[in-house]
Amino acid sequence: MIRTLIRYFNLTFLTLLILVMLSFGLAYFFPGDPITNLMGANKLDSQPFLMLSSQQTNIFMQFWYYVQALLAGEWGVSFATGKPLYQDIMRLLPATLELSIYAVTIALILGIPLGFLAGMNYHKKIDNIFMSSSMIMYSFPVFWLALLLILLISLQAQWLPMSGRLSLLFNVPHYSGFILVDILVADIENKRFAFNNAVQHLILPTLSVSFIAFAVFLRTTRRSVADVLETQYIKSAQTRGLPAKTIFFRHVLRNALLPVLPILAVQISTLVTNVMIVETIFSWPGIGDWLIQAIYERDYPAIRTGMLLVSVVVVIITMSLECISQLIDPTRDRFAYARR
Amino acid sequence: MIILDIKNLTLEIESNGVLIKALDKVSLTIQENEIRALVGESGSGKSLIVRAISGALPPQWIVTADRLTWRGQNLIKMTRAQRQAIMRRDIAVIFQDPMAALDPSAKLKDQMLESVPREFIEGRYAWQRYASRLSISHKILHKVGIQHVEECINKYPHEVSADICQKFMIAMALVSQPTLLIADDPTRGMETNTKKQILALFTRLNKTRNLSILFVSHDLLAISAMAHSMTVLYCGQTVESGKMKAMRRRPLHPYTKALMDSAPSFSPDLKPKSMLVALDGTIPTLQHLPIGCRLGPRCPRAAKECVQMPTERSINQHTYRCHYPMHVEPV
Repeated sequence: MIRTLIRYFNLTFLTLLILVMLSFGLAYFFPGDPITNLMGANKLDSQPFLMLSSQQTNIFMQFWYYVQALLAGEWGVSFATGKPLYQDIMRLLPATLELSIYAVTIALILGIPLGFLAGMNYHKKIDNIFMSSSMIMYSFPVFWLALLLILLISLQAQWLPMSGRLSLLFNVPHYSGFILVDILVADIENKRFAFNNAVQHLILPTLSVSFIAFAVFLRTTRRSVADVLETQYIKSAQTRGLPAKTIFFRHVLRNALLPVLPILAVQISTLVTNVMIVETIFSWPGIGDWLIQAIYERDYPAIRTGMLLVSVVVVIITMSLECISQLIDPTRDRFAYARR
Repeated sequence: MIILDIKNLTLEIESNGVLIKALDKVSLTIQENEIRALVGESGSGKSLIVRAISGALPPQWIVTADRLTWRGQNLIKMTRAQRQAIMRRDIAVIFQDPMAALDPSAKLKDQMLESVPREFIEGRYAWQRYASRLSISHKILHKVGIQHVEECINKYPHEVSADICQKFMIAMALVSQPTLLIADDPTRGMETNTKKQILALFTRLNKTRNLSILFVSHDLLAISAMAHSMTVLYCGQTVESGKMKAMRRRPLHPYTKALMDSAPSFSPDLKPKSMLVALDGTIPTLQHLPIGCRLGPRCPRAAKECVQMPTERSINQHTYRCHYPMHVEPV
């Protein structure tokens, strides 16, 4: 167990180091003065940045100061606004996380049980229905789906709002950045209405993100369940005459879920990409929307920081999911020793 | 009394749009209190028969039979629940590959405990019933010859050696005190000593508990020591079946003869340094099955008629399918 932890820690550390190097290198690839590209301004009066911009350093020392600056939360300032990036990002990141978490939760809660249902009825009617509909869902481009939802539900039917996180009527003080949490802890009038309004704003973006994730989870689970049902040990459990319920809960469930988890970890990056696209379309004030704006405006420090942050989040989540799936898998060291 | 009666069991597998008969009119009967051996080369379909009886075949494979009955009840037409009840108490199966037949993510203990039939468990409360399950399991595990039960029982299947897995499979099969034990190569990969113990246990259970056994193996020595009767299978066809003694003394089918001759310990008058007898060629693959008697291309006595499937003939409960059996002089 400790070996697994150490291995994953090393892996994460190295990946992050390479990411930081890449982000440092980006400043040199962009046009203009690399130091200005890194900091976003000619002069900043924080300690690491002063060292970074001094004439006596070489590139290795510069990298070292850059790492120090990153760790200290000195991420430079934006070209466009001149404001520190750290504050901007910390304000925007929770919005993105909130959207992703709700979308993943919905996709998991629906996708995995339905995947089991489809897998248990492998190649039967119900399975075919699920498979064809999830294929259609999977083939939807996310931006088109989002536009379609806006067109049908917001513009035509006018059931739900089409952009933003909350109606401008409500003034919710910033606390955690998660809008639902903020409303719950805030001491404002009309708390209930604000909450309903926030939920209404959430529905469409969450739906468009979870649409594809749901299809992927369903298909993965279904495949895994069908594979497990084919195995010799399930057949042999059946020939021992065990009741179907026992076989399902003791043998099918665990064996089917074990391989699903690492595959879900791989899906995280796709999910984050989709979230960023959806944010832009729904004007959701999250990191994706902000990053795409930065790309339009050639705001190099913002691009660099945004890229670094998003990739760090993805790497950490993916690695921890994989690490967990390794730790809970009792068959993990099945191939550790040579077999007879 | 016949407990398991199989007549003309045919198993068809679809491959590239063509139906292949993996089993072709297999007949097999098991009397009460009998040990019947099922012998054949690897790939002759022994395990398929075992899986057809136990119902562990993929649903897309087509099983047809004139008779496949357990004490007169038709196993093919039976509902799932009825069949499950029979498998739970009357028939027990030991599969060939113990590593694959055990759930890799569950401890051996859990798999052992859940195999104990409810009828044997004593006590009213959960912990009493658990203790009862455990003590029954311990007893049976000792019986099949696992020395360090406490050590092994808390491990996962991949953490113990293959023969311990095999013993667990045997224990799981025997714990329900079945009437018929179907053992598909139960002593594979075991050392001679443990093999002997297991076979002795089977023989003892056969004598004391009236356990019938369908013993699938290619170990002719073990078979001749314990089996009462034998069925020889070649390439999905039953070629000969009868009492063990009669078959040893006078095999009627050329394949049985070749099989017996290939085991040196069966021919006491074998001269030193003489050539060992073996049939030319190998068993054909399922894609290239010969028509008629499938032994045809390899058979030393084959002739024109052998492209027709020979009908089943019998002399004193000794049945064979051959146009030119050993007791008839070749033309």
